[in-house]
This record gives sequence, structure tokens and C-alpha cells, in this order.
Amino acid sequence: MISFELSEQQKQIKEMTHWFAANEIRPIAMKAEKMERVPDDWLDNVNRMGIHLNTSSFSENSTQKTSAKDSKKEREGNRMGVLATEEMAWGDPAVTLSLPGAGLGGPPVESSGTPEQKKRFLSIFTKDKPRWGAYALTEPEAGSDASGIRTTAKKVAGGYILNGQKIFITNGERASWVVVFATVDASRGRAGQRAFVVEKGTSGFSCTRLAKKMGLRANETAELLLEDCFVPQENLLGGEQVYETSNSKQTGFQVAMKTFDSTRPIVAAMAIGIARAAYEYTLDIVQRDYPKQGRYFLLASEILAEVEQDIAAARLLTWEAAWKADLGLANAKEAAMCKAYSGKMSLDVCSKCLELLGPDGLDGHPVEKLYRDVKVFDIFEGTNQVQHLVIARRQYAPYGIKV
Amino acid sequence: MISFRPTEEETSFIEVAKNIAKDKIRPIARECEQNRHVDKNLINELAELGFLSLELPEYFEGLELPLITQVQLVQALSYGDLDVVQGLPGANDAASIIRILPESTVTNLTKDVQINHGTAAFVNTVNTDEVREDRLFITEEADGYILQGTSQPVRMASFAEYMIVAAKNSQGKSVILWLDNHNHWTVEQGDYRLGLLASGLGRFSFDGVYIPKNCVVAEGYTADDLLRQVRTRIRILQAAKEVGLMEAALDYVTEYTAERKAFGQVIAKFQGVSFRIASMAMETRISNHLVKEAAIKADEQGSESDGLASRALYRAHRSVRYITDSAVQLLGGHGFVQEFPVEKWMRDAQAQVSLYGREKDLLFQRGEQIIAGTKEGALQ
Repeated sequence: MISFELSEQQKQIKEMTHWFAANEIRPIAMKAEKMERVPDDWLDNVNRMGIHLNTSSFSENSTQKTSAKDSKKEREGNRMGVLATEEMAWGDPAVTLSLPGAGLGGPPVESSGTPEQKKRFLSIFTKDKPRWGAYALTEPEAGSDASGIRTTAKKVAGGYILNGQKIFITNGERASWVVVFATVDASRGRAGQRAFVVEKGTSGFSCTRLAKKMGLRANETAELLLEDCFVPQENLLGGEQVYETSNSKQTGFQVAMKTFDSTRPIVAAMAIGIARAAYEYTLDIVQRDYPKQGRYFLLASEILAEVEQDIAAARLLTWEAAWKADLGLANAKEAAMCKAYSGKMSLDVCSKCLELLGPDGLDGHPVEKLYRDVKVFDIFEGTNQVQHLVIARRQYAPYGIKV
Repeated sequence: MISFRPTEEETSFIEVAKNIAKDKIRPIARECEQNRHVDKNLINELAELGFLSLELPEYFEGLELPLITQVQLVQALSYGDLDVVQGLPGANDAASIIRILPESTVTNLTKDVQINHGTAAFVNTVNTDEVREDRLFITEEADGYILQGTSQPVRMASFAEYMIVAAKNSQGKSVILWLDNHNHWTVEQGDYRLGLLASGLGRFSFDGVYIPKNCVVAEGYTADDLLRQVRTRIRILQAAKEVGLMEAALDYVTEYTAERKAFGQVIAKFQGVSFRIASMAMETRISNHLVKEAAIKADEQGSESDGLASRALYRAHRSVRYITDSAVQLLGGHGFVQEFPVEKWMRDAQAQVSLYGREKDLLFQRGEQIIAGTKEGALQ
């Protein structure tokens, strides 16, 4: 039956992450932005608490017990993921993105790695010290068009030599490993693409620069260089065998695309958390300082009603995408819808909140920071335009038209 | 547990409604508009299946379905044609009042007449800020009320066998009256051209009609509380109908643009077209979810259901205008002519929006609730 009531487990994770966001993340958010980094001692501390950024629930599949009792239980990892992420991003998005863990590098390893690779790369996220994973697809000349990447992977004895440059890589410098997408044969287009796990310290692999950004300043955005970088064949995601099988449809491009269906709802949930933070902050000020009637009251009523509704709309789209993923139903269209809508809506919400704060909003209020932070949520993990393309393709699929 | 899947029973019932919408309603929609009433055979078929009494209580020979089920059914039927659905006989908006009233009250009101399957209209003039050409006045007498003046246009005026009138007297007291004597009103047929032309649009005129105490449904705070609950239910049901129209327009124009060629290729290949389709798909889905969320809250009788209903209807109004306008736009000149249904859908949509609450007013109402401290909508 249709229901928007959270399960007990969902309620618990929401309450727990909200507590963490309010009591641990928020207090350091403005300071971290100013420092342009999250303090190391804070990261050590939260890592000891076992708090990680989990961007997928693929692991639920791979580690699921197969007892009759468990197999009857409905999966809810994706729904819990979006609930938790909304709360964390409500605390602060830059700090949330800096939390230890596999981050956006987790889903490709979980969905496409061999059992040995999953164990080797995902078991490092332990409480002794904070560690990160990262995901490197974008290049200076290829972002939205992921099929156009130019980083090359040349087969040599025992592995591959990678050459190329990657940009806009979240946590790229601090990551213990990065999932790097490269092509073994550019003339084969998507079919020639492969995904490699490149480990920190590998010869020829370096971080050349950290980007200075409009927002999300506390979170590291790296440029990575691969210069004759040798990657052993056991780090080819999925192993060589999977690409050699003639029936296999696995390509690096598909590895990249497959993860979007689970990561886009997570990114959408973050945008919703940011919008909600701006809305709540502004609502408090309106309730306290605004007149109770007249022109400004009407202005605030109209704006806040629209803002509140847009946030609810984005959340329902996001829940739907996550629900479908939990049930194993195709959700590419819904994942694109929630990402497209949330990315755009959240900026609009922050802008409207700034309108209500007036010139005062420029001075020491968090909403202007949220406005700067949130813009990129309409860009990364697929721009708004790419999401429209994905939605339109699914919409026209029944008619055999590829747009 | 968060879930977007209807029950098996709902799925079967929706399938029946959707098939009727496609096979029986849509083909005759133009004809119904021209005749300014819905085809009798269709009415009989829908009545037999119970589609005309979804909201009515069982003692009133209704199905008494929860709102979450009703919204899915009226949405499926409206996929055929909104005007036809709005022109179907039965208790219509008055059904929600009958649903909420205690059985004994309804039995008393209807003891002298057999109207279980009759057609009703609902005239609600309690919003005294509303600007009107001719006002409807209600005056309290010692043992009843006097109705004088003319109502705004409402659905079902032309077909009504009984009606429920909600109004405020000069002291600001709300009163709800039950009228089932035809001699008490006349209907001004008017000059309606925009849309929902099969829905019996008209104004009720009252010339100093005396309504005795035994026809008073509720007064004062009781009436206010009743009207708030009724308003919630009507808003949700009307918004659901708008979602049905949105789905119809989206599917129709997706198919059209997948086949229509220009500049040597199907126009779906142009991003100016396909991106608009994507936006329409998102808006439709959003309205759908907001309506269902409000319906569930109303079924639970949650305190926030009134606010969720106004936001669902506001969004549905905004979306249905955008989507039906987009449908006309994407068909180009063909969208403007009557060989294609989209021009009618755009007209119907705008008429529907005009009848059921001013958009900005819905927004202000919701905003006032939020500022007054009702945050739960966005906060969950």
C-alpha cells in the first residue's frame, strides 16, 4: 500500500543522523568553511565513532545473510541512505562530503568489483584512522559526455599504464584509492572504457592542485595526474575475465552509469537537506522579526509556502527513486527526476531565503554559504541538462526513439 | 514503511477505471462538451460500477472508500477527460459533507425525500473576502434563515436535485444549509465558453427563500470545523482529477512528438521539445505524490492534512496549467484546433483552476499556517 510513514529502522537512522548533524557537524561548519578544510582532529574523532559517508546500499546485497528470515525482509538501504544523507547535509554539506569512507568511489567497487577487490578496497575503512575512497571520471574535456574521456590505459605485462588528467575529484588528494575511468582503445568508444582502482602512492599518480571553489570550500576537490602510471591487472575493476567474455556487456562506461541510479538519489537528498537548512533558518527569523500583517507578511507567506512545498516535492521524488532501487526496480528515470528537480529547487530555495533575509543576509548568516554550497548540486553527478536527457530518453523509449 | 505501490485491490480497480477512461470516456468527450452534458449510457455504466459514489458513506449507498483509494480512481477516470468526469451526476462535492456528518443528521435531513442517487451541488460562500458580481446574503431569523442573492458559478448547477449551501451571516457566523426543494432556487445558465462545459456550470439565484431550522446542517464553530474537513477532502479529490488530466496530456504529447517530423527528423530529437517533455513528466509526478501524501494524511485525520491539501491543490493548479499549455505548444498549430484534444484540455484545466480556489490564496493560506508554527510539512 502507498505509505510515507517511516519504518522503525528508518526513524532510528533519521533521528541518529539528525542528532549527529546538529551536535557534531553544525558547530564546525562555518569554521571549516573559513579554514577551507575539515579539522583533522574532528575527522579522527568521528571516524573513531564509526561515522562514514555511505553513498550506496550495494553492500546490502553483497553482505546480506541468506537465511529465510532475512530474505523475506524488504531491503530498505536506499531509503535509509537518502533519509540519513538529508540529515547530514542539513548539518553541513561540505563537512558531510568530507566524512571518511568510500564516498562516491564505493558504489562502483560494490557493484562491479570482484569479491577479492571488494574485500581489499572496502575493508580499509576502519576505526583506527580515517580513510577515503574517490571517484574520478571527469576530465578537462569530458564531463557530461562521459563516453568522451581521454585518459588512456595501455595493456602491458601484468597490468596497464595509465596516462591522463582528472578534475573535480571529491576527496581526491586524501583518498587511499580512486576509481579511475580510462580507455584501452578510444576508437571503440564506450566499449573501450575500463574502470581501475588506483591506489595512493602509486608511482606516476599525483594530485596537482586543489580547486578554489564558490562553495563547499571545506571539502577537497582535487585535480589528479596520471603519468605513465602502472596499475596492476588485479586493480582492473571486475577483473579482466569479465571484459573478455563475449556476452558480457560490462564496460567502464556501464560501471560509471550503473552507479548513478543509486548515487543520484543520495545527491538529491543532500540538496534537499541544504534547502531545508536554509528554509528552517529563514522561517525562524520570519517568525521572530517579521510583521504579522501587511506587505512583508504576505511576501513571506507566499515565499515560505512555495519553498516548503518544493522541498516536500523533491523529497517525495527522491524517496520514490530510492524505494524503486530497494525493490530492485529500474529507477534511472526516477533517479534523474529527483536529481534534476532537487538540484535546481535547492538553489532556488536558498535564493528565496536570501530574499527574505534582505541585506542582513549577507553578513554572517549561514544561508549565503548554503547558496554557494548548493549550486554544484545542479551540476555534479550529472548536470540538470543531462538529467533532462535521461528522463526524456526513458519517456520516449516505448516509441523506439532515442533522443 | 515508505512505499509507492498501491494495494492489489486498488491496482485492479484502477485498471478498470483507466480502461473506461481510454475506451469509453475519451472518445465521447467532444460530443459531451457540445451537448453540455455527459452521455447517459456512460453514466449508467459508471454508476453500476460504483464510480459515482466513491466518497459517499455506505448507509447512503456509497462505497465509502478511503481518500488514498479515491484519488487513484478519480485520477484514472480523469485520464479520459476531466470535463466528462466533472459532469458526472451524483453527490459530487456535497458527498464530502454527507460523508463527515453523523448518520442521524443525514437521515433527518433526507427523511422526506429519496435522493441517494440524486445529483447535488455545493455552494460555499464562507470566504467573505471573495470578490463577487452578485453576493449571496444569509440572514438569521427566529426559526430559520433567509437566502437572498446569487451565487458564483458552480458545477452541477444545471443538474442539481438538491444542494448544500455554506455561508456566513452578517455577524460572521458560519451556517450550512440543506436545500432539496426545487422551488427554492432558480439557475442562471450564463454564457460559459472556456471549459468544463459538460459540468452543468451555472449560478444559483435565491429570492428571499426561507430555510427552516430543520434544514440547518450545522452552525457556528461546528460548521467551521465541518467546512474545514470538507475543504480538505474536496481539495484533495479535485487535485487528483487534475493529475489525471496532466497524465493524459503528457502521454498524448509524448506520442505526438515521437511521430511528428520536422527538419527531417521526429521533433522529439530536438532538445527544446524533449526537455519540455521531461519537465512535464517531473511536474506530473510531483503533483501526483503531493496529492497522495495529502490523501493519506487526511485518511489518518492528521492535523496537518488541511495544509497538505492546500499545497497539493496549489501545485496541481500550477502544474495542470503548465502541462496543458505545454501540450498545446508542442503540437504547434495542431494544438490550437479542435481536431486534437489538447486545446480542450487546456481550456478545461483553466476552468477547473478558476472554480477551485485562487492559486495565490492557497499559497497565502499555507504560508500563514507555516509562519504560525506548522512546520511539519517540510520537516517530516
